[in-house]
Amino acid sequence: MLSVALTKRLPGFTLDVHWDAPDMVTGLFGPSGSGKTLTLDCLAGLVRPDAGRIVIGDRVLFDAAAGIDVVSRARRLGYVFQGYALFPHLTVADNVAYGLRERPRAERRRRAAEVLARLGLAGLAQRRPAELSGGERQRVALGRALAPEPALLLLDEPFSALDLPLRRALRDDLVGVLREWGTAAVVVTHDFTEAYRLADRIVVYDGGRVVQSAPRAELLWQPASESVARIMGIPNVLQGTVIKATPDRIQLRWRGQTLEAVNSPTRSYLPPPGAPLAFFVRPEYVRLIRKDRMVADLGHHMNLMRGEVVHDEDFGTTWTLRIRLDEPGPPAQGAWDLEVEVPHLVYEILEIERDRRWEFSIHRGSIHVLPS
Amino acid sequence: MDLFPLWLSLQVSIVATAITLVLGVPVAWAFGRRRFPGRDLLAALVITPLVLPPTVLGYYLLVLVGTRGPIGRVLDTVGIELAFTWRGAVLAACVASIPLLIRAAQAGFEAVDPRLEAAARTLGRSEWSVFWSVTLPLAWRAVLAGAVLAFCRAFGDFGITLMVAGSIPGRTQTLPLAIYDHVQANQMPEANTLALLAAGLVVVLLLGLGRFVRLRY
Repeated sequence: MLSVALTKRLPGFTLDVHWDAPDMVTGLFGPSGSGKTLTLDCLAGLVRPDAGRIVIGDRVLFDAAAGIDVVSRARRLGYVFQGYALFPHLTVADNVAYGLRERPRAERRRRAAEVLARLGLAGLAQRRPAELSGGERQRVALGRALAPEPALLLLDEPFSALDLPLRRALRDDLVGVLREWGTAAVVVTHDFTEAYRLADRIVVYDGGRVVQSAPRAELLWQPASESVARIMGIPNVLQGTVIKATPDRIQLRWRGQTLEAVNSPTRSYLPPPGAPLAFFVRPEYVRLIRKDRMVADLGHHMNLMRGEVVHDEDFGTTWTLRIRLDEPGPPAQGAWDLEVEVPHLVYEILEIERDRRWEFSIHRGSIHVLPS
Repeated sequence: MDLFPLWLSLQVSIVATAITLVLGVPVAWAFGRRRFPGRDLLAALVITPLVLPPTVLGYYLLVLVGTRGPIGRVLDTVGIELAFTWRGAVLAACVASIPLLIRAAQAGFEAVDPRLEAAARTLGRSEWSVFWSVTLPLAWRAVLAGAVLAFCRAFGDFGITLMVAGSIPGRTQTLPLAIYDHVQANQMPEANTLALLAAGLVVVLLLGLGRFVRLRY
């Protein structure tokens, strides 16, 4: 259990955050410059907060009111820095053993060897950091932080120094290491997929504040606000007007359409008619209606609309289509109204490259309203 | 040919370089790593030996450490005499050379990534241990380069040494002072030998270390 409350004023930036993490792995997610790394530095005792309290389990590391400020070296936290900050003048083995100085020499060697073996680094023990690949460096940094058996592991953008294919492989790797070693961790990232893949709970940062803290699945489907949805990079964050709201349904008007949405099951939300309302539709949940089946099925489809593909992009296994609805007035997102994602196979079968005019439907459960 | 000035100069500059290292490295580290009150004033003070005329500097030192000077009197009570002794020459050499060491070492400490030191702290090391295991091993080339410059400067000092230690043959006459005396006395071969020895030593030291330890000045 980790409990963090921090205030730190810097020139031109104020960090003021409060979050609790009962889970094993917590992700700090948000845009660059939102205070994520500063939070890690405060946790590690490298930066002294102006006010607040940091508690890990039953150990109080910092309490401004009580005058407690445990020095960095006594906090027993493993910090994996962005870019890793390996000691360039030491071998891999000496890097990993660096935090074990308090232990007797034999124990130090045994533990370093054990960590190297568990991380698959045994063959690299006598190399220097400059002679390692990006992925190997990450493992050494991880090993160096884990060797003294820290109470909490801090990881700052653990993949930022790596190429894309390596990032995915090492992400799965890191998930395995964290589970296997059973060390609680706080991971800082500005990539939502990374945060989702690594963390049980995600704390969303924006401008030095926490805008949402939730289990990852809840965050994925129920961002607390329009701004959280935008920080997460969700496409199709749209603005409508409420027609009618009941505890289980919300009817709203958007771009000349009447849309029906399911009200949030956990945070039932009843805005008055005429109120502006933000919502989002995931691109892979917009359905294209097959022209050969349209007449027979028309009654099944809800939130039916008609439009034209004005732009499409090939992402290999999927295509992203940008749709402009057949409605007068400016489109909702610049030159288009909706982003739709279809599998490559569907794109080919339906001959979307040639056939640009389609009807679309969105299930009411796929329209997610965002509390303002 | 009397080589006493050469041996005296070597002795003075070796002792001065050692003292300079002991005093200068902590100052350089503080300049490179810490913010403290009076930092700007101290930085200006460190530069003064480079910009003051050597005789002016030597004059003030003599005023301070002479038998009637405030520092001289204190040292006199414990039986140490600085003015017009070889120790005075060491003092002069230290003052002349410490700015070079501090500037080089400070640049070296500033070039060490502070994140490495932060990493060392999170791994349970004290500030003292961080310095010896991370900061110094990564900055030692710069410190050594500074020490070489300091040694050469100490070896070649003329004006400050003349004021503080005088030019007593066989006692405080260092190599640069001896060369001057030989020239005054029109003993060109002696002046020539000593000058060649001095130039040779400095060139060998600078080039040799520059080559084998890859120092940059």
